[in-house]
Amino acid sequence: MAQFKAHSVLPGFNLALGFTLLYLSLIVLIPLSSLFFKTATLGWGGFWEVTTGERVLASLRVTFFASFAAAVLNAIFGLVVAWVLVRYTFPGKRLVDALVDLPFALPTAVAGITLAMLYAPNGWIGHYFAEHDIKIAYTPLGIVVALTFIGLPFVVRTVQPVLADVEAEIEEAAASLGASRWDVFRRVIFPSIYPALLTGFALAFARSIGEYGSVIFIAGNMPFISEIAPLLIVSKLEQYDYAGATAIALLMLIISFILLLAINGLQWWSNRREIR
Amino acid sequence: MSLPHQLINNRKIATHESKAVTLVLITVALSYLLLFLGIPLFAVFYEALGKGWTLYWAALQDPDAWSAIELTLIAAAIAVPANLVFGVAAAWAIAKFEFRGKSVLITLIDLPFAVSPVVSGLIYVLLFGAQGWFGPWLQEHDIKLIFAVPGIVLVTIFVTFPFIARELIPLMQAQGKDEEEAAISLGASGWQTFWRVTVPNIKWGLLYGVILCNARAMGEFGAVSVVSGHIRGMTNTIPLHVEILYNEYNFVAAFSVASLLALLALVTLFAKSIVEYKVKDNGDRHPHGETE
Amino acid sequence: MSITIQNLNKQFGNFTALNNINLEVNSGELLALLGPSGCGKTSLLRIIGGLDVQNSGKIFFHGKDVEHRDARERNVGFVFQHYALFRHMTVFENVAFGLRVKPKKERHIETEIKRRVHELLQLVQLDWLADRYPTQLSGGQRQRIALARALAVEPQILLLDEPFGALDTKVRKELRRWLRRLHDELHVTSVFVTHDQEEALEVADRVVVMNKGNVEQVGSPDDVYAHPASPFVYQFIGNVNLFHSRTHALWTQQQGDAVAYVRPHDIDISLIPQQSSLPVVVKQVRAIGSVVRLEAAIGQDGETVEIELSRERFNITPVAVGDEVFIRPRQIKVFEA
Repeated sequence: MAQFKAHSVLPGFNLALGFTLLYLSLIVLIPLSSLFFKTATLGWGGFWEVTTGERVLASLRVTFFASFAAAVLNAIFGLVVAWVLVRYTFPGKRLVDALVDLPFALPTAVAGITLAMLYAPNGWIGHYFAEHDIKIAYTPLGIVVALTFIGLPFVVRTVQPVLADVEAEIEEAAASLGASRWDVFRRVIFPSIYPALLTGFALAFARSIGEYGSVIFIAGNMPFISEIAPLLIVSKLEQYDYAGATAIALLMLIISFILLLAINGLQWWSNRREIR
Repeated sequence: MSLPHQLINNRKIATHESKAVTLVLITVALSYLLLFLGIPLFAVFYEALGKGWTLYWAALQDPDAWSAIELTLIAAAIAVPANLVFGVAAAWAIAKFEFRGKSVLITLIDLPFAVSPVVSGLIYVLLFGAQGWFGPWLQEHDIKLIFAVPGIVLVTIFVTFPFIARELIPLMQAQGKDEEEAAISLGASGWQTFWRVTVPNIKWGLLYGVILCNARAMGEFGAVSVVSGHIRGMTNTIPLHVEILYNEYNFVAAFSVASLLALLALVTLFAKSIVEYKVKDNGDRHPHGETE
Repeated sequence: MSITIQNLNKQFGNFTALNNINLEVNSGELLALLGPSGCGKTSLLRIIGGLDVQNSGKIFFHGKDVEHRDARERNVGFVFQHYALFRHMTVFENVAFGLRVKPKKERHIETEIKRRVHELLQLVQLDWLADRYPTQLSGGQRQRIALARALAVEPQILLLDEPFGALDTKVRKELRRWLRRLHDELHVTSVFVTHDQEEALEVADRVVVMNKGNVEQVGSPDDVYAHPASPFVYQFIGNVNLFHSRTHALWTQQQGDAVAYVRPHDIDISLIPQQSSLPVVVKQVRAIGSVVRLEAAIGQDGETVEIELSRERFNITPVAVGDEVFIRPRQIKVFEA
């Protein structure tokens, strides 16, 4: 017999689920659906025209490349950070561990103005690069810097627990079979943390795609060069081009949703591997 | 085959890197964190206080700064409790009952995390803005939501929507419903069971969610920026006020106000670490075996 | 308080957990629901306690239909498999919980609650642990606290789900004797679920053997062991040798396909052939405590037969590995295959 809900002696299901669905609909679903309805007024042709405009495509390119570069940086260095935090002891480790979450806690606007100041050609860090004729702030490189900051905790926090769960016995077994330390890492440890690493990468990437606050201060916001897609939405809004802004927003929403599904799939995959 | 020659961390030597590799890895990790986290954090306070306390205090005592602080507190004071009630209700339904469509519901709850802050603001403009669905009706009744405080509160609720629920759902799922069933079989009512058995078991997870939710509620920039209208002293939150000061090249004032948010971030990290420690402590207390 | 179960059915999706169960639990008795994993015994217990709902069928407590009484109103004490102690409360508060959540007008005053909790803790001999938290207790102690907590509300029926399942062997044996004594003291109608036949046979007044959602047999421990009603019960309880009619028509005494069941200790041996005896070759001899266990092969490399003899009996007919002996069943049960 197909039932909606299995029997339980615990009360409150109808109240809890009813409230959940009502609140979810009012706060999330109905507002989000407005994107679809507003875009529908444009029609397919209009949607296509807006989203394939040169400036839009350029901004999407900038957004994607910068997000990808930042996520790659974080995947590499995040793995090292996770490794160091799990495997070694050194003074101040707990402090460093807590600090990793700073990008989650520090408002993006604060991060934005601080990074812009530091990486400006006359800034603390920027002037070293300026000596070699490398500009970071107000160029696409600046966007990568901001997005690296924003995405830093994701890889560390997804890899850390999985790495801690790798049993010492497995490594000992590999070592006793004659594997070198590098072999053990490459053939035993890395394969078991690989799904988590990929998940962390995807999470950082997804977060970066939509990021706004930390980027706009450091990006310089030059159309076609360092203008990100979320900023383009804001400028269209400021010109009262609601339909245009909505079309770009819908496209970004669809992209984020695909990423969300991919991340869920990755997590499912990684959980399944852990259970085995 | 060469035998490794030192011992760190009580681990067996055969499964350890050489001292040189260890040092290099630690150096790389710490440098990376210093470059991207340590220096920026220090810089906020340095820029704020670099020109002396007098300027710092002056920036904080500006009436516009005060009204921004007030508005931020109001938004958080509404958004956090609203999402707290929602989070508990959603977690109760999802973790303690079996029903169809549960995984879809969990995905939908996570949805706001996947939406760009700018888009979060935009959708509320599309609903309540002058040209939005409810725009004409709201204008007729002289109600202003967008470019006003209610709009700011609404988008703040939206962007912090999943925080508490996603903290509680896995926690309550892991705890199972044995204790609640035991309470019911001992004659406790639904509310008695909830307050006396469920709440004490989830209190740390609840607090954890509240801390994260609050940090985001007070610090949100993109979404609030879209619906705020940037009216000084009226619809500016702290992050928006920072932006205005920065764009006016009033860097000392900008970093002074920003230092408040940085301080909030530090308090958040500190509270978070303490709660994580408590949760870990509590988690061990759960004797769990397989059921038939 | 007696329990009557009539035509009870329970499905989980396509899986039949309980198939038309009819059962009578007498007032004051200690009844065991015995069966392998997944036989439906826990489902039955949860339905009696009101924690689950049947698809059809009725349950009566003392002749009264309890369909419209939920778990809170059935006045049943339930002891969970993993104890389900409230981990944020002390032992004392755990036991007091049922008294504290009573409606205001039925609630006792604090001193009375204190008195009764200590009485119960004394009953389970753990008064000295009152201020501890569940995590600080051993498995056996947790089990006894769970029982005290269930007894606090003075239930008329006590239901225990695998009460000793998560304990090690030694504690298990101690606790089940203790439970038996406790039951003799209190005389609360009790039903407990177990997959351990020794436990059921040692503790219960009557045993209900279940398999795949069906009741296979209901009877006293002696009855169930000595007169199994079905091949399943024969195999589930105690060791047994199987003889197929095709090869041993002599014993099954049946024309069709049938299987004869003989317990190892119901086999007699002799050195000379007797009426309807089988020749076997001894493959192994092991003395275990007061019994001697033989393993013998029928024919050249045929099936293995297990034989159990008392030491005295063995001393009368001492055999060694390689000897040919003749076996004969003292008691045999034949079921059609």
